[in-house]
Amino acid sequence: MNPHTTPVLAISLALGTTITISSNHWVLAWTGLEINTLAIIPLISKSHHPRAVEAATKYFLTQAAASALVLFSSITNAWATGQWDITQLNHPTSCLLLTAAIAIKLGLVPFHFWFPEVLQGSPLMTALLLSTLMKFPPLTLLLMTSKSLNPTLLTAMALASAALGGWMGLNQTQTRKILAFSSISHLGWIAIILVYNPKLALLTFYLYTIMTSAVFMALNKIKALNLSTILTSWTKTPMLNATLMLMLLSLAGLPPLTGFMPKWLIIQELIKQEMTPAAMAIAMLSLLSLFFYLRLAYHSTITLPPNSSNHMKQWYTSKPPSTPTAILASLSILLLPLSPMIHAIV
Amino acid sequence: MTYFVFFLGVCFVLGILGVASNPSPYYGVVGLVLASVAGCGWLLSLGVSFVALVLFMVYLGGMLVVFVYSVALAAEPFPEAWGDWRVLGYVVALVVVVLGGLVLGGFVGSWGFGVNTVDSVGMFVVRLDFSGVAMLYSRGVGMFLIAGWGLLLTLFVVLELVRGLSRGAIRAV
Repeated sequence: MNPHTTPVLAISLALGTTITISSNHWVLAWTGLEINTLAIIPLISKSHHPRAVEAATKYFLTQAAASALVLFSSITNAWATGQWDITQLNHPTSCLLLTAAIAIKLGLVPFHFWFPEVLQGSPLMTALLLSTLMKFPPLTLLLMTSKSLNPTLLTAMALASAALGGWMGLNQTQTRKILAFSSISHLGWIAIILVYNPKLALLTFYLYTIMTSAVFMALNKIKALNLSTILTSWTKTPMLNATLMLMLLSLAGLPPLTGFMPKWLIIQELIKQEMTPAAMAIAMLSLLSLFFYLRLAYHSTITLPPNSSNHMKQWYTSKPPSTPTAILASLSILLLPLSPMIHAIV
Repeated sequence: MTYFVFFLGVCFVLGILGVASNPSPYYGVVGLVLASVAGCGWLLSLGVSFVALVLFMVYLGGMLVVFVYSVALAAEPFPEAWGDWRVLGYVVALVVVVLGGLVLGGFVGSWGFGVNTVDSVGMFVVRLDFSGVAMLYSRGVGMFLIAGWGLLLTLFVVLELVRGLSRGAIRAV
């Protein structure tokens, strides 16, 4: 990419996200979403490979349709109620349209097919941006309108996301696709709690961002795009691979790690709302995703190497240290004891 | 006037169907022009003459330029028109969708098909769309700058995507 283009795109990404999350008016929020969509497209098709261009095209088409739906729902609301306030989305038709539009933007289940394919076509760092930063503005819109959304619809979409995100990830061998399905099932957890406790949805999103950023950056470090590359990476970065195992288990939500906190709090809140069957269903459905996390974790710390290597540890390969990966990894493993404080802050 | 506006609405829907039924781009653009003319006329009947004019010139002009370039890139020896069976299937399916929407809209009745105008009912001397444009240059200058930056960004993105003879997004693969 042209070196002058990168700062323009980075500034626009920051500008679009900031505009959307801080706006009070539907038109401004929509403008921010559009700026975001436009700015990420050259980052997806950075390699100019036909697959990357295809991914960028798919991303553009789905996001443009979703943005048009956002605009349509807000115009319908303004036509019926005479105001453009984001928090005052009162018209039932606009609420349904907005739920559909944001579900397309986030990749919730009936509209999730674009997400793994776009992630598979983009570089790992862009995939990280797509699954964290690009989900933040639509999620903010959903959070601001959460009082008037339909809880039944959201719960159904959330359960379907948790189920299909786990189910479709089972047979995958590409790490980016597995992380895309992991993102879909995490969004299911966010969507199920959104109406009942919006703060908790935000907390879940923050923790998911930390954990998935750590995993993406670790995978980028060892350049692992599929499972067989992870298998052979233990000779180069043994410590990183051991940490990667812990980070993956944290994403899966196993107890002594950070990832347990959102699932714990969400299940508690759902039971308080007398939604025990939904809580049980989503907890059981996350076992499906546990399967592919466990397989990734097993591949990263494999006890019996599949091929012989001449050296136990390749000390001579250059491995510059990466501070952000280290910080994110420790955050994604060790935050559970601080959960009362984090719960109070968010 | 009511019949004329109804006629415009029918032309708008027919034009959209002409594009959405997926004929060749050569013929699709005719439907696009029809929908654009009818839609702008419809907006005119609602009382927003300036917005209708701007939309007509900018949208139709831009779309036609894009059309010329895409037709030049994808030249088809046997373009499919609306008479072909595949396109006819799309037309029938879309007509069913439109009729279903009309029936559903009649049941729900939340939008209403009555006559509504975007008018200030004599409260202001200036028409609403003109005063809105004036607002873009006074108090709404922030919005104006953001919109301008968005359009400039689109230019950068398109240039970055199609840059380079052998590796641009538009090339013979």
